[in-house]
Amino acid sequence: MNRKPILTVLGLVIVLSMALAACGTPATEPATEAPSEEPITLRWRTRPDNQAEIDVYQAVSDAIQAQLPAGITLVYEPGGAETSSYQDVLKTEIAAGTAPDVFWIPGTDVADFASRGLILNLNDLASQTPDFNMDDFYAAPMAHMTHNIETGAEGAGSGALWGVPRDVSTFVLYLNLDLIIEAGAPDPRELAAAGEWDWEAFYDVATRVRALGPDIYGYGANAWWGPYGVWMNAAGGGFYNTDRTACGLDSAASLEGLAFQRSLYVGDNPVAVPYGEDSEPPFMAGRVAMFQNGRWATPGVRANANFNWDVVALPTGPSGHMGDWLFWGAYVVNANTAHPEEAWQLVQRLTTAETQAMISELGTNIPSRVSQEAIDAFLTFTPPDNNQAFIDSLMDDPVAEGPLWAGSWPEFVAVMDPAIQALMTGQTTLEEFQISICAEANRTFNP
Amino acid sequence: MKASIQLEAADRRTVILLRAAVIWHIVLAIAGLAGGLLVWLRAGDMLLWLRLPLGALLVLTAAASSLTALFVQRGRHSGRVLSLAVNYLGFLFCFLGGMHVLGMFTGIDSLASTFGRGIPYLGGVLAGYLISALGDRYENHPERRQMLKRVGKVVMLAFMATFLLAIGTLSGLLAVVRRFTSFLPCLLVGGGLLFGLMIWALWRRDSAVALGASTAHEQMLNGFLFLSPNLLGFLLFFAGPLLLSLYFSFTNYDATTHVSDWVGLQNYARLFNLTIAPLTTPDQPVTEALDMTVYDELMRFNFFERSFILGAQDKLFWIALRNTIVFCLLAVPLSVIPALFLANLLNSKLPGMKFFRAIYFLPSVAAVVGVALIWQWLYNAAVGYINYSITSAVTTINTLFGSAILDPQIRWLSDTRIALLAVVIMSAWQWIGFDTVLFMAGMQAIPRELYEAATVDGAGRWAQFRRITIPLLGPTTFFVVTTAVINALQLFEQVYVLINTEPPGGPANSTLSLVLYLYVRGFQRFQQGYASAVAWVLFIVIFGVTLLQYRRQRSGAYA
Repeated sequence: MNRKPILTVLGLVIVLSMALAACGTPATEPATEAPSEEPITLRWRTRPDNQAEIDVYQAVSDAIQAQLPAGITLVYEPGGAETSSYQDVLKTEIAAGTAPDVFWIPGTDVADFASRGLILNLNDLASQTPDFNMDDFYAAPMAHMTHNIETGAEGAGSGALWGVPRDVSTFVLYLNLDLIIEAGAPDPRELAAAGEWDWEAFYDVATRVRALGPDIYGYGANAWWGPYGVWMNAAGGGFYNTDRTACGLDSAASLEGLAFQRSLYVGDNPVAVPYGEDSEPPFMAGRVAMFQNGRWATPGVRANANFNWDVVALPTGPSGHMGDWLFWGAYVVNANTAHPEEAWQLVQRLTTAETQAMISELGTNIPSRVSQEAIDAFLTFTPPDNNQAFIDSLMDDPVAEGPLWAGSWPEFVAVMDPAIQALMTGQTTLEEFQISICAEANRTFNP
Repeated sequence: MKASIQLEAADRRTVILLRAAVIWHIVLAIAGLAGGLLVWLRAGDMLLWLRLPLGALLVLTAAASSLTALFVQRGRHSGRVLSLAVNYLGFLFCFLGGMHVLGMFTGIDSLASTFGRGIPYLGGVLAGYLISALGDRYENHPERRQMLKRVGKVVMLAFMATFLLAIGTLSGLLAVVRRFTSFLPCLLVGGGLLFGLMIWALWRRDSAVALGASTAHEQMLNGFLFLSPNLLGFLLFFAGPLLLSLYFSFTNYDATTHVSDWVGLQNYARLFNLTIAPLTTPDQPVTEALDMTVYDELMRFNFFERSFILGAQDKLFWIALRNTIVFCLLAVPLSVIPALFLANLLNSKLPGMKFFRAIYFLPSVAAVVGVALIWQWLYNAAVGYINYSITSAVTTINTLFGSAILDPQIRWLSDTRIALLAVVIMSAWQWIGFDTVLFMAGMQAIPRELYEAATVDGAGRWAQFRRITIPLLGPTTFFVVTTAVINALQLFEQVYVLINTEPPGGPANSTLSLVLYLYVRGFQRFQQGYASAVAWVLFIVIFGVTLLQYRRQRSGAYA
């Protein structure tokens, strides 16, 4: 029997059937192309840091899917981690028209996305939703989320709503209690409880631990705007002027904060992991007494720290405050989505108290809803034992991580970051920094 | 005269087909011209960069079709060539466009899961085929043979039908039929059929003879047909984007907002806008010396005992250019020279050499991202193995010899003076293996007789290496150095992953390379126009350096 024709026909049938099957597959098509009569597929995305987080978000997606009416299918897409440029990929997909319907972005990026017209103004949809109340969420992030680009107005009635905050977080110091005890230094938690946890006390603890050996450090933080910003905030300064329309890095208060931070890295008695080095590995290796990081670092510390650890709030600065950030990120809706109403419903479901509780249990963040129940639930997610430190920071008038509506945040940080790096590594002096930083940084603001 | 005689001698069917081709090309020319005018005059909301090539393409089609109609009418073979080219391109356009509007390309993404559902049933088809083939074993039992063949066929058909159902062929078919209710798929499929028909009409032997085709003509057409996938791929995916990026470099194109205004040489002017100002004292503040609304300080220098400051409108471009050149100057010799000696060593026939060749080649086949992440750990100043080894060595020496050598505690990734060197070391380490293999291939092509003759003449190993190996390796050295330089000038992944700062290129821009800067501008800020200008400057730099190397090779510099 000549089998060649059979095999040829078989091969052709398979290729043709694949082509036909591809035509009929409900593919992940660009959001704009889906006709309204067809079943709706809503895609949503977050920036998880690990598989455990992906699993939680998938469980959230499954739970919401079960509540949705027939005909709507949810597809959760874990985006790349922070190190794999989540935002770069997202913007590229938006440019190509293949971005998901709903996605999470950090608070600093909201202005960039909104002013480029990449995200939908949800104000009209929200005003038709009786159950939605802006006051349920922390006020500072909501002020930024309701910024009207044309009028500059903020808050309910501004005519703008760019999304809903998913979570909030603050910085704390992760403590290696074994090192602190070995150094004979006072316990920062007790100092904080006694109201004596200020810059001087912090420096004292760091110095004592540093004296334990050349490879032991009193303090460590990674080199980005978050850690160095708190020192400026705590001194009463900040990145911008009061109305956020110009650079504030050369103000006396900002310089005071930077001067203190610089003393941790350069000078007679540097106590910190060298600026620019990743501080997490030495902390996990038990060589850093106080590691500054947010709630998102908790799962990693839980999994990897082989020493006694806990957390304490940041020390109080000259302004009388810790100067902590209120970090936040928000779910926003793709401006080109074919299903704005369904996407808005999804955003609401993703930010309910129940959903936020599911995610908070993972330990990575704090619910963005202001409620005693949410805080009480959060406090039970231990370790660390001193979860209250996060809440104390929240209550100490933290500076909300904010989009720069009057300029370009990426351009601003591209000027600020190298200048701070040079300052913290001793390449430039504070005077040199002061002379030119704002002349350079002010060019990144809108004329 | 000869052509018209052949046309007259052609059979009636051929004449009809050729006349149809003439009419088709006249219609195509009119449609192309109308389409071109429509795109140019009416599609005002279409982006210029899209309108321009599309309009040009339609007008070009009109022109080519007009010429084709004229030439075919006159019985010239060039008309056949043009017709085949136009119809072939038209057919491809309709075929690919048809697949796109039918949703095949987007469906392929999720076909893997759909098709996976049917794979078990393909096993059943295979089983049916085997049953059928088993029948051949019973040549002496016709009844049994027939029965097995019948059973085999039934099994195959049943499983094939199940397979087709399982992978969603039916729903696919329905989806295709449903999409044919709109105009575009019908137009594309109809157009594809017409283009296909015209290809057949002009390709057939009788048409070829009627238009005076020679064997050389046929060979040329076959040659271009085989070349066409590569040629079209090159035009579509390389030359096209290259020209598009050149156009973008004269615009302020932003891919997210799709703003694209012509700005002329503004992007280039901004890149190269430098200023020099004299300083009253070497430490005069920059704000007093330069107009800070435009310029940033790039460097200060002394010239004839006077101090000057150099300012740049885009200081990051110049920093990136400097870093890229420094990286190239360090990484190329550090990878090429050791590779040459290593290749000489591994070229010997000692036992275990194959093992070592594989070992040295391993870093070259490892992914840059994986390698960079490992080196990130090695370089960690606090807990990295490199500093640990240095500390241990210093401690041991101090203990043994009573010396007081200071532990340098090198901050590999956070010290602006060291970070680029860290990238150089890692890159050179990774490139050495590949360069070694190239050198070894070159060495093995050198005739052994030359070494034997040199040995007889009393030349030692070093003399042989210097007088025979290095000169005869000239072409290999040229290739290795040229590719290494091009690789070095395109530095990106190593910095992006190893240094991993935000913004990229830290600490304090000390590792910012030109490609990384291009990426930041193009894919983080989405200033594609400006990024394209950076890309073209980089292209000119690479082209210039490569040209220089070609000239040096011709003058025998690598021998």
